[in-house]
Amino acid sequence: MLKKRLIPVLLLKQGRMVKGRQFRDYRDTGDPISAARIYNAQKTDELVFLDIDASHENRRTLVRVIEEVSKECFMPFTVGGGVRAIEDVRNLLNAGADKVLINSAAVENPQLVTDAANVFGRQCIVAGIDARRENGHYRVYVEGAKVPTDVDLVEHVRCLETMGAGEIFINSIDQDGMMNGYDHDLLKLVVAATKLPVIACGGAGNFQHLVDAFDINGVHAVACASLFHFGDNNPIRARAFLRNKGVPVKNV
Amino acid sequence: MKKCLKCGLPETYETIEYDENGICNICRSTEFKQNKIDWTLRKGMLDSIIEKFRGKYDYDCIVPYSGGKDSTFQLYYLCNEYKLKPLVIRFNHGFLRPIIQENTERTLKSLGVDFIEFTPNWTIVKRLMRESFQRKTDFCWHCHCGIYSYPLRLAVKFQVPLVIWGEAISEITAYYDYEKDEIEYEDEQKFNMFRNLGISADDMYGMIHSPEFPVDRRDLLPYTYPTAKELRGLNCTSICLGSFIPWDYTKNTALIKEKLGWKSDELECVPEELHASGEKIECFMQGVRDYTKYCKRGYSRISQMIAFDIRNGRMTLEEAQKYYPLEGRKPASLKILLEYLGLNEEIFNETVKHTEVSPYHHDYSRNEYADKTWDFDRWYRENNRKS
Amino acid sequence: MIGVIDCGMGNLRSVLNAIEYLGFEGILLKEPALLAECDRVILPGVGAYAKAMGNLQARGFVPAIQSYAAANKPILGICLGMQLLSTTGHEPYRCDGLNIIPGEVVPMAVKTTTALPHVGWNSVRLLREHPLFAGVRRDIDFYFVHSYCFQASSVQDTLGVTEYDISFTAVVARGNVLGLQFHPEKSQVAGLRILENFCQWDGTC
Repeated sequence: MLKKRLIPVLLLKQGRMVKGRQFRDYRDTGDPISAARIYNAQKTDELVFLDIDASHENRRTLVRVIEEVSKECFMPFTVGGGVRAIEDVRNLLNAGADKVLINSAAVENPQLVTDAANVFGRQCIVAGIDARRENGHYRVYVEGAKVPTDVDLVEHVRCLETMGAGEIFINSIDQDGMMNGYDHDLLKLVVAATKLPVIACGGAGNFQHLVDAFDINGVHAVACASLFHFGDNNPIRARAFLRNKGVPVKNV
Repeated sequence: MKKCLKCGLPETYETIEYDENGICNICRSTEFKQNKIDWTLRKGMLDSIIEKFRGKYDYDCIVPYSGGKDSTFQLYYLCNEYKLKPLVIRFNHGFLRPIIQENTERTLKSLGVDFIEFTPNWTIVKRLMRESFQRKTDFCWHCHCGIYSYPLRLAVKFQVPLVIWGEAISEITAYYDYEKDEIEYEDEQKFNMFRNLGISADDMYGMIHSPEFPVDRRDLLPYTYPTAKELRGLNCTSICLGSFIPWDYTKNTALIKEKLGWKSDELECVPEELHASGEKIECFMQGVRDYTKYCKRGYSRISQMIAFDIRNGRMTLEEAQKYYPLEGRKPASLKILLEYLGLNEEIFNETVKHTEVSPYHHDYSRNEYADKTWDFDRWYRENNRKS
Repeated sequence: MIGVIDCGMGNLRSVLNAIEYLGFEGILLKEPALLAECDRVILPGVGAYAKAMGNLQARGFVPAIQSYAAANKPILGICLGMQLLSTTGHEPYRCDGLNIIPGEVVPMAVKTTTALPHVGWNSVRLLREHPLFAGVRRDIDFYFVHSYCFQASSVQDTLGVTEYDISFTAVVARGNVLGLQFHPEKSQVAGLRILENFCQWDGTC
């Protein structure tokens, strides 16, 4: 049986990991290579590294981190942040990423998703979406949740699937970093719109939130950052909790 | 809350899982340890390891030591059974109790061993405690990291490759499992898995260094795990004695009391009948650590001690029932912690509330204090306060 | 020396890193010249069957790999690499494979409501013992990411199966050749153990 995945997200800014709330008020959460080693020791399912600086310097740091981490951590890595062109995808995959996350570029230039899927295979492409609830519906934002778009969320998800994405990574801007639970309405909307595996992100504050998210049929994986940075938690304890609640998780 | 039908540990216990019979993985692991491990074979392995290193270095081995029941037993065992020449190392976390100092002196002088104690910079320790508490609601990052890094740092400095620790973590959690029939090493893998709370020294440096509180990276060296290169170069072998001999806390404690005159002491918030085990007397933050755990998880040291006794056939679940209501009382040491952290109780409660483990919800209106221990007034207070 | 064949697709670095981490020497092969000097060979890959076979053809690998297999030297196919060992593939169009383990690679016939690709951790049920799985605990999960699966012509060649709506072949084994649908270089301890076993395997079972 395919197990549910628990995926820590590592946000990179100026060579350090950070975590914020609703994309603001970032706090230092440590050294990314150190974190990868720790997650590796804890037999974590997968890691997502996101460059939230989009500067050349930060991109170089990200590549260096992936190269280092690939030498001693043997689990899947998804890497993203500022991916605009096929070359960006190629560089990250060559550095050691297994999958590349494309977010803003998928809105501005969906052809990139298709081109990347054709060259590297759709299993290498994760489409990321940041969405905020506004007046009863969800608005898709780009550029690190700074720029609103007029793109319809459900249409966008369907389009990404057609264009060749392998997985959908859906992040709630409202719930991000608040540790109050995932946005269930948002998740239900997305899983109904696609057959692709959906990775839920934004809002996990305790293990029960993870269980609640998995209750939604179609949520394949839960991503979290604050949960592990700001709480007495680790993926091993999370797996034990999930298992006790009947959620199938990786056997180690 | 769901509890193990055998030992009573609740579902909020770290790494616990229950099988279809409602028995927890730690009970099963202990059964395996008691019935299926070939301890003769394991002892033979220990013999070989020890002979490999004996006599070739300035010390036969390093023994990390706190003065508590486990490290005293492990030191006694290595000196008595193997006649080793150890270098005994203690990382002083800053919370040693008078009884420990007394026990330490008696033990070291009886056994006749070389001893080094390291006490880190207290200003840094307080800062680390606060950061660790705010992020993890566990204020002992400095202690966890210091205890497990520092002896290895000295192993590298002194070029002594063999380091022998005490009980296996399979005794109390499922991070490692006796059922896997593996030797437990005290290595970087374990350190990263759960010892350092997911925060390395590199992480912590970036978290606390600021213009308001500038920190020298060297201040974090005592908490920094030696590099893989340093340890490989030394051919470091860092093992848990509990993987080679069957650990029995009660027998071990009785032995050191008899042979070394080791003494147990009162524990904060723990009934007197359970004091004889000698559990956790090496730290005067024991009470407030237990209380923090209770606020998060709804169980505490009493439950853990009972679980051990049940698994080792020294108590039944029925007999244990009278002790559970005593859990969760506030310790006098809470005041000391708040002083060290520079926080008030309201902020403490708010921070800890944040990391409650479902389904437990703590009732913060419960304001029952347990009695102070006899040595409360001897514990370090900032500004010479005594109340 | 362990040869890692470059079919132009997939994360070769991870495989090489894993081999080096385990203490063995790996060499990236962009063309078959040095193949014969390798005492064992790994064929990794991620992506479309037809494209990979096209690359292998262009680089002259097809006959070289077939002779290598016939010479009874150990070969390990990973993910797409495992699939390429088959007779025929269909991604995105019908295409000949290496035909080292007879079979066909077809889209996974999962329910219409089931997500593809099959991505994540899943367990493998071994149908018999094999040296490459020595020391690997039976109830461990491995990391999969694929949308097609291998249908072996001969039941004897299926060593391990996995469930995902359907029961599909996760491991093929014939003599000195083994194919893994999952990624051992991404499957942490258990995966590394399989790789380590392969690096020490004499090709017999």
